[in-house]
Amino acid sequence: MATIENSTQTLTLTMNGTEVTFSPGETLYEVAQRHVDRDVPTLCYDERLEAFGACRLCVVEVEGIRNPVASCTTKATAGMVVKTHTDGLEAHRRTLLEMVASENREIDVDPLSGYASQEMKTLVDRYEARTGRFQGKQSGKSRPDDPNPFIKRDYDLCISCYRCVRVCAEQEGDYAISVANRGFETQITTEFGGFLKDSACTFCGQCIQTCPTGALADHKALRSKDVPGEVKKTRTICPYCGVGCSVDLMSKGDKLVGVLPAMDGPANLGALCIKGQFAYDFVQHSERLSTPLVRGDDGVLRPASWDEALDRAAQGFKDAAANHGEDSIYAIASGRAPNEAAYLTQKFIRATFGTSQVDNCSRA
Amino acid sequence: MNTPSNQELIARWKDEEAPLLPLLHAFHDRDGYLSDETLRDVAQGLRLSLADLYGTVTFYHHFSRFPPGQAAPRVCDGPVCSLRGAHDLIEALRKDGATAMPCAGRCDEPIPVLEGDKVFVGLTHDSLNVKPSPLPPKNPGGTEECVFASIREPGRSTLDGYRKTGGYEGLERALKSKPEELVQLITDSGLAGRGGAGFPTGRKWKAVADAPGTPKTIVCNADEGEPGCFKDRVLMDHDPHAVIEGMILAAYGTGATRGFLYLRYEYPETEKILEKATEEAKSAGFLGEKIGGKDFTFHLSVRRGAGAYICGEETSLLNSLEGKHPFPRNRPPFPVTHGYEDLPTVVNNVETLASAAAIARKGADWYQGLGMGEHAGTKLISLSGDIRRPGNYEVPIGLPLQTLLEDWAGGAPEGRTIQAVTMAGLSGGFLAKDGLGVTLDEPSIRSKSSFLGAGGIIVYDDRRDMVEAAQVAMQFFAHESCGKCFPCRIGTQRLTERLRGDAGPRELEAWRTEVADLGRTMKSLSACGLGIAAPLITESLVRYFPEQVARHVAAAQ
Repeated sequence: MATIENSTQTLTLTMNGTEVTFSPGETLYEVAQRHVDRDVPTLCYDERLEAFGACRLCVVEVEGIRNPVASCTTKATAGMVVKTHTDGLEAHRRTLLEMVASENREIDVDPLSGYASQEMKTLVDRYEARTGRFQGKQSGKSRPDDPNPFIKRDYDLCISCYRCVRVCAEQEGDYAISVANRGFETQITTEFGGFLKDSACTFCGQCIQTCPTGALADHKALRSKDVPGEVKKTRTICPYCGVGCSVDLMSKGDKLVGVLPAMDGPANLGALCIKGQFAYDFVQHSERLSTPLVRGDDGVLRPASWDEALDRAAQGFKDAAANHGEDSIYAIASGRAPNEAAYLTQKFIRATFGTSQVDNCSRA
Repeated sequence: MNTPSNQELIARWKDEEAPLLPLLHAFHDRDGYLSDETLRDVAQGLRLSLADLYGTVTFYHHFSRFPPGQAAPRVCDGPVCSLRGAHDLIEALRKDGATAMPCAGRCDEPIPVLEGDKVFVGLTHDSLNVKPSPLPPKNPGGTEECVFASIREPGRSTLDGYRKTGGYEGLERALKSKPEELVQLITDSGLAGRGGAGFPTGRKWKAVADAPGTPKTIVCNADEGEPGCFKDRVLMDHDPHAVIEGMILAAYGTGATRGFLYLRYEYPETEKILEKATEEAKSAGFLGEKIGGKDFTFHLSVRRGAGAYICGEETSLLNSLEGKHPFPRNRPPFPVTHGYEDLPTVVNNVETLASAAAIARKGADWYQGLGMGEHAGTKLISLSGDIRRPGNYEVPIGLPLQTLLEDWAGGAPEGRTIQAVTMAGLSGGFLAKDGLGVTLDEPSIRSKSSFLGAGGIIVYDDRRDMVEAAQVAMQFFAHESCGKCFPCRIGTQRLTERLRGDAGPRELEAWRTEVADLGRTMKSLSACGLGIAAPLITESLVRYFPEQVARHVAAAQ
């Protein structure tokens, strides 16, 4: 840990010939992100997770160290002389991307697959690594048999970066998936190699969103992959609980096709739960109510105006209170309602009817 | 005796240091395999994630998940045993459920077959029997030895025998002086890590002594997984107290209070020998509390691996001890400050520690003087393959390779000539032609783009197909790659396919370019020594045997 004294000093190192500053504890990758125009490429890095050092794409040359070092796991120290984009490094990166491309069934995946799903394709194209070299056996084995409706497990596209395993453990604390076997035989697995539903998985979808190849993909969003049109993103707040997770709704034309967590959402920093991630079908459900309904004397519901419906409801409350006493009225605020609505609910019940019978469904 | 229940086994181990491996072995011993129910109970008992535990169990070659498990024969098909007919032996034992296992460290007397807790050796299924590890041949060069000096004395493996031949004298002397003086003595001797990396031992001990944080730990790396290496086995089998004394010295020098000897799975008899020697040392007051009547405590536990070459890499070993997935760690920080449980830790090889015990008794100058010319000390070489007298030899550092091969070990078999040798087991690749003119020291061998490493040398005579030898070697690296870093995980697989001829370019120039490009990136970018070393196999193959490579690529068309 940096001492307080250290943190007040200005620390510098040389990166690509320029003297740059850094804070104690920063890695070379973090320093490079701030100071270098061109991205340092990576496939196993997710800034929310502990640096892992698997893909080796982010390697940089450090004077005095023989082999290039992974910038994501190497802490910056004062006086280091670092180069991030030498010809040698760029050649290694291209070779690595050719190697990774060779182990997968395909490189191009639909952007609906997940938040990070285009990372591999983007790098392979940037480094012109579609050369077809290094052909051989494919590594991952897909699990089309897994019946869950949320997470597509297409491991033919897996490059064993372990971001899914790490996000599940470090970010979610679920430890539902892990790494089986070793070397080229490595597979992402649950306990005993079973289905996700039989594991500790909570279907939060975080593994999908950190996967850089689309091996873990959003089954629900991909239902709309053949819907014509560009994907439009709309920033909003998840309508479920009161946490206020930021999401980017994905739509094609008028159709809501999926949800992406907002990595910069102040409440969630990219995290979501199963409801925010996957439970959006109600929005455009054919049976969703689109107008108030009131029941006629025949007992059948018919469309009505808001005024009519509210008058009917108010009369109902009044009748109940008059006929059965005020304590016959009981309100439960929805867990999906924000704090303000919950407040108004209790105000309405207490002030209007003078009863304390109010609760919240999160507790009920 | 009643069969212990799951909960009894868990209760036995859960409060011990580094409990996961011995607990899994206890279930293995009881049932022969690890059932789903066992893993569920162990995960709960040790508070581990079940998915992680399952993944970690599948990492190790020898943990069985299904019957017959441990009862089925596992036959070594390492580089030497495959020259001796390992695949025929596997076929002959197929009816008993035989499978192949990577090099099991018995290359001087092939072929080892592991069944339950026993290692049988023999070339055919009807000649298999249990035999103790062969003692090293009496030093044919007449040069003075360090770790083998007394190993041939009868009874040396017992406490009495060890003490009669000067054992624990070094420790007793060290205990009369300050720990710093012992560390200085080791530094002055020039002793460097004998597991292959060659890091100066005294400097490592001093770094741990100076590092903040307790308790400190001494780990003896006895995970001798390098094919063609069986030197640590002979030391532990015939001179276990020397290794234990070395560990106690390291503890005294650094202030460590706990120690682990991490033994490879394939040496079950060695585990029993070490357990017995540890008990003897404990009862003699060399282990435990108030050692030598001083305020010096050191507890030593033997831990058995489960079949993973990568666990010989020190940070993988530490993760394995801690019950974690045995991927290598990112360095820095190094184990000297962040080792076992992130506390200061010495990780030394068996031979290094046994050497330290000899140095403590006989002095730094004595050890320095054992090498040739400027070189300090000795090195154990495990010599195997097409050579008349295979076995372990202790050579003065700087001895010409030819002297070892021809004068000490009798050269190639009758009517044959030596075509090539490997260095560092398989990790140093091949030396052939002018490369055979090296002397056995790092500067000389590194000048030929190889390295001495742990000191395994496998000899191939002029009959051998070197592309096939390279393929066996690369297949081993692919089998043992941990799967963490991309260049090694993919590169070892792709190189194996190209050497086997089942994938890759059919045109020589393209083949050579692909193999060179894969190797270059693996060497520069791999996260640990496995991926850095593996391409030395293809690099040296192409350098020394271009015509065999050309024939191989042409034949694959």
